[in-house]
Amino acid sequence: MRPVHSKIDKSFYGYFFIAPFFIGFAVVGLAPILYTFYLSLTKWDGFSDPVYVGAANYTRLLHDSFFYQTIGSTLVIWVMSIVPQLILALALALILNERFVKGKHFFRAIFYFPHIVTPVTLGVLFSLMFDWQTGSINKMLESIGLIHDPINWFNNPWWSRIIVASVICWQYFGFNMIVFIAGLQSISSEVYEAAAVDGATKGTIIRKITLPLLRPVFLFTFITSVIGGLQLFDAPLMLGDGPGNSTRTMIMYLYETAFKNFDYSYGSAIAYGIFIVVMFFTAITARASRLKD
Amino acid sequence: MLAVVLMITLLSACGGKGGNGASPPASASSGDTASPSASPSDSVSPSTSAPELKGKLVIWTFFDQVKDMAAKFEEKNPGVQVEVKMFPGDQYQTKLLTALQTGKDLPDIFDLERGYIGKFIDSKFLTDLSAMGGEELVKDYIPYVQGLGRSSDGKLKAISDHSSPGGFWYLRETAKQYLGTDDPAQIGEMVGSWDKLIALGEKVYADSKGKVHLIENAGDLFDIMAYNTEPWVKDGKLNIDPKWQETYDLQQKIRAGNVDAKLPFMSAGWGTALNSGTVVLTSMPAWAGFMVDNKDDKAVGKFGVAPAPLGFYTGGTYRGIYDKSPNKELAYEFLKYIASPEWQDYNLGKTGNMPGNKAVYEKNLDTFKSAFFGDQNILKPYYDTIKEMPALSADKYGEDILSLWRKVASQGITNNTPYDKVVGDFKKEVKNAFPELKTD
Repeated sequence: MRPVHSKIDKSFYGYFFIAPFFIGFAVVGLAPILYTFYLSLTKWDGFSDPVYVGAANYTRLLHDSFFYQTIGSTLVIWVMSIVPQLILALALALILNERFVKGKHFFRAIFYFPHIVTPVTLGVLFSLMFDWQTGSINKMLESIGLIHDPINWFNNPWWSRIIVASVICWQYFGFNMIVFIAGLQSISSEVYEAAAVDGATKGTIIRKITLPLLRPVFLFTFITSVIGGLQLFDAPLMLGDGPGNSTRTMIMYLYETAFKNFDYSYGSAIAYGIFIVVMFFTAITARASRLKD
Repeated sequence: MLAVVLMITLLSACGGKGGNGASPPASASSGDTASPSASPSDSVSPSTSAPELKGKLVIWTFFDQVKDMAAKFEEKNPGVQVEVKMFPGDQYQTKLLTALQTGKDLPDIFDLERGYIGKFIDSKFLTDLSAMGGEELVKDYIPYVQGLGRSSDGKLKAISDHSSPGGFWYLRETAKQYLGTDDPAQIGEMVGSWDKLIALGEKVYADSKGKVHLIENAGDLFDIMAYNTEPWVKDGKLNIDPKWQETYDLQQKIRAGNVDAKLPFMSAGWGTALNSGTVVLTSMPAWAGFMVDNKDDKAVGKFGVAPAPLGFYTGGTYRGIYDKSPNKELAYEFLKYIASPEWQDYNLGKTGNMPGNKAVYEKNLDTFKSAFFGDQNILKPYYDTIKEMPALSADKYGEDILSLWRKVASQGITNNTPYDKVVGDFKKEVKNAFPELKTD
């Protein structure tokens, strides 16, 4: 007997239909990725021709304490931004999903606004607000008498990281809130009604029904934010390297190496280093989420 | 840290800014009343030797005023068409480098800003101007202006038409109030040495009850000292001039004595202080006049400029010929024109940009007056700088290493870090950015 699946018509016309994507991907995706790998095996400053040096750039990367520091900084900033961001988003989503809240569409729009602003603008905005000498935050704190001398925010590694983290938190909490609201609305009302009939309190409903049923949404936001968070770049760039490079993220380091120092070859090696780091953390996240099943 | 980034971003954008159509107010207003002493007759000769030039030139730049340059050249040579393509902002160098790598659709002439000229100067993309007779063009030049256009083997690769010297700009009214005079020479005398400057700064701070500072930032000394110290790299080795230690001590004293307002160069607060007079003396180059708020000519006559304790210059636009350009001869004629007294005389009158040609500078030295500066002779305060600054050729490390030093030392000044620790951190940064250099 012939297997069932062979009855499917395997006409090669199908390939034509999927070709546009793959051609596009090969030209603008795959080719640069492979070229970057080639460059990472050379020494090239952009002025002379690339010289093949083997794994030298990778050896250098393995011994590069600045690179390790950027991994650490990126993770710290990411954790400091993701935790309050998800809590805030979830709390607001729960509140705005209640029937008794008036004007919830208005608030959803308002909370989503920061996400429309470009990160560079946010970076500049925050850097002006927290400026040591002329920033509005210091002026405000001085005028209400909380501080006597202006605080040099960006001279302290932790303040700098908190500011960078809050820029990102402020930018994305609205987006995650919308995702959570979408998740909440997909939970069937029958479950809630059944719980209500059984006499469950609001708190119990949230703990026993809402949160467990939101798990797939959590996973989605978590994995996207791992990938996005590890690629932090534009907003922190506007705020600078920070004291002792404490707010320099991995991608900022890549940018500085390749496009400021014109060390394209080492920049390419850093790009592959970042790729491995991101893969590693994504794998951990994916695995952790599977364990719970 | 923010300071440093803003500074870097803005510094690297400085050429672009100057060119973004925000033409220096200084220039606009000085145009009407400026009186370069050149009479038409004595300036015609140098660049008219080839009467019938024909063809088309393409120039890439980040600087708006090149259009004027091109228009003047076309006017003089009706057979020539000059197309100026402007790419404002600090991405110009990346754009240029990418284009040079592909080797397609390239200009005949491209501009290079001082901040990155060192990276391009030894590359294969620039024509050797010495071989084309370029030495003749710069023989009367201010030494440092022509020096920066040379590759490491001493060949002339690029030419500038201006000299970008820096000095202290001040609001006359504020200067009278806190220094007791608005006379440039007297002020120059009052800040003739760093010790005098620090003592004066402490006095200004006390007199104003902490509201006014003498200078903008202790970090200004980086720019001033950068061209009064030895190159950062010698024979493949990092070279830290001992003067940097003296400078660091001075910077700490400046910070401790509240002499500076702690405002980073070209930041928003910096500009406000310059225009409002909460800082008495702002060190900046001659081309930065666009930072003065001169709407409806309201700043005309209100500013003066005095020499800094040491001469310095910041920024500068150089022009080179693409090595594979088919129009090299014509491109050379263009460079010949911008190096000529004819153009530089005109440009001084129109924009107030100081000439790069020393002969032109000296010819106007006693007569040139700027209306913007209340008819002050603005060539005089810079003249010593012009004469004495050593001619250094650009190398690929200088500006980048300076910005690393600026980053590490600025943090050191703010945190009162001991010099040895600063040097240690700095060496680590240099080693990381340029592993090929010896840092011990």
